[in-house]
Amino acid sequence: MNLRFKILSGFLILAVMLFAAGLVSIAELNRIRYSVRGLLEENYISIVAARDMRDALEEQHSGILMLALKDREDGWQSLEKAHGDFQQAFARARENITLPGERESVDAVETAYLLFRASWSNFEAGSRGRDKKLLYLEEVYPSLQNVTTAVNHLMTLNGNALHDTAVGLQNQAGRTIMPGIVAIIAAIVFTLVFNFFINLYVIAPIRRLTRAVTSHVRDGEPMIIRTESRDEISRLAEAIQELVLYGGPKNSRKSS
Amino acid sequence: MRPQIILRYLGLILLFNAFFLLISTLVSAATGGGAFFSLLFSTVVSVLFGLFPLVFVPPSDDITNREGLYIVVCCWLLSCLAGALPFVLWGGEFTFTNAWFESVSGYTTTGASILTSVEALPPGLLFWRAATHWMGGVGIIIFVLAILPAMGGAYLVLYRNEMSTLAQESLQYRTRKTLKILLYVYIGLTFMETLLLIAEGMGPLDAVAHAFATIATGGFSTKNTSIAYYSSPVIEITVIAFMFLSAVNFGLLFQCVTGHPGDLLKSPVFRYYTASLVIGVILVAVNLHGSIYPGWIDAWRHAAFQVIAQGTSTGFASADSAVWPPFAQLVIIFLMIQGGCAGSTSGGMKADRLILFWKVVRRRMVKLRHPKAVVVIRAGQSVVDDDVAETVLTFILLYLLVLFVSTLAITLFGVDLLTAFSGTTAAMGGVGPGFGTVGSMANYGHMPGAVKWILTLDMLVGRLEIFGLILFFTITRWK
Repeated sequence: MNLRFKILSGFLILAVMLFAAGLVSIAELNRIRYSVRGLLEENYISIVAARDMRDALEEQHSGILMLALKDREDGWQSLEKAHGDFQQAFARARENITLPGERESVDAVETAYLLFRASWSNFEAGSRGRDKKLLYLEEVYPSLQNVTTAVNHLMTLNGNALHDTAVGLQNQAGRTIMPGIVAIIAAIVFTLVFNFFINLYVIAPIRRLTRAVTSHVRDGEPMIIRTESRDEISRLAEAIQELVLYGGPKNSRKSS
Repeated sequence: MRPQIILRYLGLILLFNAFFLLISTLVSAATGGGAFFSLLFSTVVSVLFGLFPLVFVPPSDDITNREGLYIVVCCWLLSCLAGALPFVLWGGEFTFTNAWFESVSGYTTTGASILTSVEALPPGLLFWRAATHWMGGVGIIIFVLAILPAMGGAYLVLYRNEMSTLAQESLQYRTRKTLKILLYVYIGLTFMETLLLIAEGMGPLDAVAHAFATIATGGFSTKNTSIAYYSSPVIEITVIAFMFLSAVNFGLLFQCVTGHPGDLLKSPVFRYYTASLVIGVILVAVNLHGSIYPGWIDAWRHAAFQVIAQGTSTGFASADSAVWPPFAQLVIIFLMIQGGCAGSTSGGMKADRLILFWKVVRRRMVKLRHPKAVVVIRAGQSVVDDDVAETVLTFILLYLLVLFVSTLAITLFGVDLLTAFSGTTAAMGGVGPGFGTVGSMANYGHMPGAVKWILTLDMLVGRLEIFGLILFFTITRWK
């Protein structure tokens, strides 16, 4: 193998290693980007929607209490507004189903909310001639608790996913850095090895060659040059040996 | 010494590692799980570092003993380092210390893990973990020499350092042929076990990983609860059979399947090894009956599995032997120190050495009664000279000394005595799980970092059969 190829291969290997490290880091960074997007779009939107639903439920609860205190106008106003808010938040949660088990959780919220709605309609109508306080304690409040529990479950589900993604991000950040660190250490080791080979297979033969030529010229010692590999340096050594042996161009030697 | 020759062999070893890294990368690409880039980058680095010395250094057949020793030791260390790379790049529980521990444990076929949840690893990394066992088991050097022709006289020098003298003698083959035999037996056993495990209901990847770990007498499982996960007596019987076979001298196994089955039963080492395991199983089963397991069936089943798993230095688990009575634990610890037969992938002192040890003891007793008697020690048909006997005694003494010093050093870090002693025994013997807090259902993750480094050193000392590592650090001029 010739020397040019050997030296070129050293630099090529170094370049490929750095390129690979860069490529892996870019790929991991890209994955972080997607994870962050997932964090924001998938989990955070659902968490905010669940929080809005909980706020709306609290407002509806206030509305019901106002109705109980005979403040019908404010009570209804509050109930209708809160119902609208809840529906909007619920629609957002429904459009953003991304996790396993999230659909079931959203369905549970819907079912519980419908029952809650039915319970406060009954409450307002004072259905079946029952005592309103009793109706509140036996139907309205428990159904409100059910909806809150279902919304909390949806929130926890997304909160856990948010936490998992954040932990994953921490790992991915490490994975982005590590190829760079490995490439730096590998490049240092590689440089040392490369330097050793250059010394052994390029510098040392050239020194031997120089020493042999000098000894021959100064002291008339025989030209014996030992090379380990077949490359440009071994061919140079052969050429010098030939020059020393024949002392000039072969053609002119023949003619004389 | 010529460092360039050592670098050339290190390059070959890296390429061999890179081949398995590439397979792991492909497994990762096919199954997903997130380790693809870690494995791919490790493959690229290994290939580049492996190719470079081959470009510069011309092949050389004549290597000296000293170079051979350096090649063997450096190959182990470099392989362990390359093996840690995918773990470090993947992250998770793998700090550099943990990754180094896992990798050394893999290559030395120990099977001790730092992972609290093995199942959290992606399939590609699980395959790589098992592959480190398989490569380590066959002896990286031996394998590369066997598949790479044109190395001529280099075989013998490397082989002398890789295999214990006893193993060479009992194989009764010349080096090149021995290497082929080892390979045939090794690959054959791996294929057979993989197929059987798949037929018994294990998934293909799990079957390959468990076969790799069994034949290398390693013990890395793809499940948190090891073989107990499958709760299948058929799988347990299969694994028991292959663990037992993997700790038998491969040369004897080869002779057995090529028309000389009698040789196996005639071998005193095989007879001693089998008898010690059978007696171990009986003692442990009797001890467990009533105290841990009310029924005989469970007592026999788990005693057989655990005794053979730890006695052959494999280290799989079907039950938590850390909660077993002290008597059962001590029986297992004795078998862990003893190990399997020389010429196999098992660890420990090796049954061959213990037989010689008992013979030396018997000769001393005879000489005490008859001081002028000439008593020779025989191993099979051949007479063992005093040098070999002395080496065996020195080895056993050094083994116990290292065991004691390591235990002492580990207790310095606040680790309890049972955990420290059994952990060191398991590390040096290439077993994996010990007792105490490092039992068969536990891991080494909670150990202090310094303890992990001590244990990895024990693993390497055990794998290089003590003398290899001592010589590596002490010789200056050795022709």
